[in-house]
Amino acid sequence: MNQRITLSESHIPYVQLLDPVGAVRGPLPEWAKDGSALLAMYRMMVRARVFDAKAVNLQRTGKLGTYPSCLGHEATHVAVGAAMRPEDVLFPVYREIGTQFWRGVTIKDVLLYWGGDERGTIYAQSPQDFPFCVPIGSQMPHAAGAALAFQIRGEKRCAVAYIGDGGTSQGAFYEALNLAGVRRLPLVTIIVNNGWAISAPVSAQTATQTLAQKGIAAGVPGLQVDGNDVLGVREVIGEALARARSGGGPTLVEALTYRLADHTTSDDASRYRSAAEVQAAQQLEPMIRTRCYLEACGLWSEQAEAELRRECSALVEEAVREYLTTPHQDAGAMFDFLYAQLPAHLRSQRDDARYYAAKH
Amino acid sequence: MPKVTMVEAINLAHMWEMTQDPAVVVLGEDVGVNGGVFRATVGLQQRFGAARVQDAPLAEGLIAGAAIGMAAQGLKPVIEIQFMGFIYPALDQIANHMARLRNRTRGRLSCPVVLRVPHGGGIHAPEHHCESLEALLCHHPGLRVVCPSSPQRAYGLLLAAIRDPDPVMFLEPTRLYRYAKQELRDDGEALPLGQCFRLRDGDDVTLLSWGAMTVETLKAAEQLATEKINCDVLDVASLSPIDFESILDSVVKTGRLVIVHEAARHCGVGAEIAATVTEHALYDLLAPIRRVTGYDTIMPLYRLEHDYIPGVDRIVDTVRATMTD
Amino acid sequence: MIIFRLPDLGEGLSEAEIVRWHVKVGDSVSVDQPMVSVETAKAVVEVPSPVSGIIRTLHGAAGDRIETGAPLIEFAGAEPGSAAEENADRGSVVGLMPSGADEFAGIVGGTRNAPASAQRIQAVPAARALARSLGVDLGALSGTGRGGLITLEDVIAAGLPAAESETPPGSTMRPASTATDNGAVQPLRSLRRAMAQSMAMARDSVMECTVLDDADLHQWHSGIDYTVRVLRAIAKAKCVEPGLNAWYDATSHSRRVFDNVDVGLAVDTPDGLLVPVIRDVGRHSSEQLRAELDRLKGAAVNRTVKSDELRGFTFMLSNFGMMAGRYATPVVVPPAVAILGTGRARSDVVAIDGRVEIHQRMPLSLTFDHRVVTGGEAVRFLGAIIRDLELPQ
Repeated sequence: MNQRITLSESHIPYVQLLDPVGAVRGPLPEWAKDGSALLAMYRMMVRARVFDAKAVNLQRTGKLGTYPSCLGHEATHVAVGAAMRPEDVLFPVYREIGTQFWRGVTIKDVLLYWGGDERGTIYAQSPQDFPFCVPIGSQMPHAAGAALAFQIRGEKRCAVAYIGDGGTSQGAFYEALNLAGVRRLPLVTIIVNNGWAISAPVSAQTATQTLAQKGIAAGVPGLQVDGNDVLGVREVIGEALARARSGGGPTLVEALTYRLADHTTSDDASRYRSAAEVQAAQQLEPMIRTRCYLEACGLWSEQAEAELRRECSALVEEAVREYLTTPHQDAGAMFDFLYAQLPAHLRSQRDDARYYAAKH
Repeated sequence: MPKVTMVEAINLAHMWEMTQDPAVVVLGEDVGVNGGVFRATVGLQQRFGAARVQDAPLAEGLIAGAAIGMAAQGLKPVIEIQFMGFIYPALDQIANHMARLRNRTRGRLSCPVVLRVPHGGGIHAPEHHCESLEALLCHHPGLRVVCPSSPQRAYGLLLAAIRDPDPVMFLEPTRLYRYAKQELRDDGEALPLGQCFRLRDGDDVTLLSWGAMTVETLKAAEQLATEKINCDVLDVASLSPIDFESILDSVVKTGRLVIVHEAARHCGVGAEIAATVTEHALYDLLAPIRRVTGYDTIMPLYRLEHDYIPGVDRIVDTVRATMTD
Repeated sequence: MIIFRLPDLGEGLSEAEIVRWHVKVGDSVSVDQPMVSVETAKAVVEVPSPVSGIIRTLHGAAGDRIETGAPLIEFAGAEPGSAAEENADRGSVVGLMPSGADEFAGIVGGTRNAPASAQRIQAVPAARALARSLGVDLGALSGTGRGGLITLEDVIAAGLPAAESETPPGSTMRPASTATDNGAVQPLRSLRRAMAQSMAMARDSVMECTVLDDADLHQWHSGIDYTVRVLRAIAKAKCVEPGLNAWYDATSHSRRVFDNVDVGLAVDTPDGLLVPVIRDVGRHSSEQLRAELDRLKGAAVNRTVKSDELRGFTFMLSNFGMMAGRYATPVVVPPAVAILGTGRARSDVVAIDGRVEIHQRMPLSLTFDHRVVTGGEAVRFLGAIIRDLELPQ
């Protein structure tokens, strides 16, 4: 006799609290009611945006290496940072500076890293956070492992992993999610679906309607949120973290946004997508709606905006100045931190490296 | 004759062979619409269509694995891994399957795949984008490993690789992609695999290199010539299998050998060459074999990359030391 | 005036074509203001201004190709003290793509050589090295190894006399009788052979220079241990001139100056010269040094010194004067760069303030390798030795 198993009906919820023009679309959560939390997030979003533009310019003037712009992603990045607790641990990809700034990574850190200097990953304020992860998807098992450690030790901490839409095609994504599901790990994964993996649109990446539903295969609940809605993302992530922290298991959150800039400064997106598409996406970008809402609440103004921009520019300029005047590491630094202790036979190689570096 | 860069030469080789042989297909990330992040495959999808030039989902293991299935079916996949540092997820497929398929089916199935990948550093790129991992690949019997050092050799060797019945790892030196132009006759003529190329004639010392380091090696040879030290410079080009006959002929002639590679010293391909030459030509040697290599460290981020990559002065100093032994 | 050069716009791009200028000569621009659109092999990019200033010159018109690193824009002046001003030139060619002027090498001929008409002499590498240090001409030897290969034994036989009971053909040394103790030929073995080889190498490489002086010991308390005092003085002198406690490597033109003072002490044994090493003399007490000296000397005489106790001295000491000899020109043994020889201490007539006195004095002979140690360093070192030795205790 043919049988079938009926799965529970699968819905992928979609959350949006603040629409593209700043109108509130659902009940305001408690934490959002007095506006101060939102104001703090907006200020950080502006800082990320101001820095991001400067970073691109630095690359264009030969002072920074290849740089991946986060233009348009500020809401998701900052909201995740704001929802996390200091004792949680972050596993970024390489674009989420809004989250990292919130957690104490400095502008100079980010510049040093993209400027080709390993000291940029020292992250003095969040020493357990992982640095950028360039091999796509490989951060997911790390996050699962940290979550496993929290579980083993009975700590009320969460691992937070980012991944892009492209990254959801990697085996490591499924492997990590699978473990999180079977062990009910305190892992919150945010898929930043910005529409593009370099030149591959999401439609070339997968046949699924949503990326969040990939959690179903791992037994992990998934949902979508408007990634340009800082209120919505903050609420959704806050809930997911609370659930994970109390033993409720993992969540897969798909934040829908758009990659307004090129993949990196080495890319030219005009080769594979239309200007019209980018313009349309620009109308939905996060800063507009957040500012509208804050102004409507009487918490913001033109003057406040100008002042904030000036403040952010000054902060960025100071960090840039520090970065540009940071002397390069000595050539021997290649040998630092290779092992806990440098094997003796490598000392002569280090002498050699220094000798030749001194000649240049 | 037109002058082309290495990346343009690679593009021409694709164009030629895909025109001649309908079995050749291309698969990789951003290779189709975008033409590849270095533009190596630009124009191919327009010319040959989206069925033959495919943008893959973001998964290196999948790309390598799918290539095996396609090859066993009689297609000739030329796949691209975007940077050498991202080859690791594909290693399972490369080592466990590509290298073995012919062997474990006693020849019934085989794997005529070309895996192209940018190789080495020196272009100011982010971390993981600058790796030299040829030794890792050379250590797997059943694979061919090839590394061109000029537009002409990239063109000729890529054609040979595509036509070769065995899996070929085609390592393209990134910092030579646009380094300079060279005249190229786009005539479909392949260069032989498994053979060294002499780049400079000399009697005093044999210098072996491959890929981007041939540039520094030749500059060192020029400088040494002004000191009356004449170097016999060979581009090894095929790193597995290696043309030891040519290398030994040169060492017998000169009695001295210096091997130059960007990859780290420990267990680098230079060690294999040194051991084999010692075994077969010990009594012809007038001096110990020396290697000028990257240090045994993680490839540093770009601020230090030129302290890592051997410079002309390190090569010159090492040859001088070899000459005074 | 600041020249801004076309930067490497991404991962090794070597040139770009000017599409459109957004500014003109005479314009005042601020930092980050877009100046020009350029097209690279990969993309059309906007290049922003690296500084605030006035445009003096634009290098190129729309359609022109500019190489990475070539001048793009000249500014008349930048804001004083701006980071951009300091780095305006450095902010230029950050990408390190060499210019397109370099050519690629073509293939030069084939790689399979015609057999060499003059065959190289086949010799075991160790034999080649020994031949060189002994001054043996390989070409004059016939090798006894496979295929005429010259072996180590072939070189030794050529460089040194044959075994006891044989007269090598052509040898000028014929034994007067076959009695072993009446001038019979003895091949050097073991310690003596090692000494012959190492002294030959030292002679061929070290640039020896010897300085002689005396230490006045008349203030010494009774019962002082001579050798321990000398070791201590060496450790003290090393602090004054560490360059004599070093190794020199001629091939790499480098020296290694050591923190620890490991003194190789020349010990005379019936079989020959042995040089056991007393480690880290600066850090041990007099009692510990004496104990170690006794131990090593005993082991040396019994030939029970371990091989790692014979290696790696950073300075050498020869108390040759035990029997006879005031001054000498002791031999520096590479890779060390110095050796101190102490001659026989005895009462000397000395002049003190115009009066004649009798003082116990120790003669000192310091040989140093003048390739890497200067005369000044050597005499300062010796001076420090003397000052320490002359202390009462």
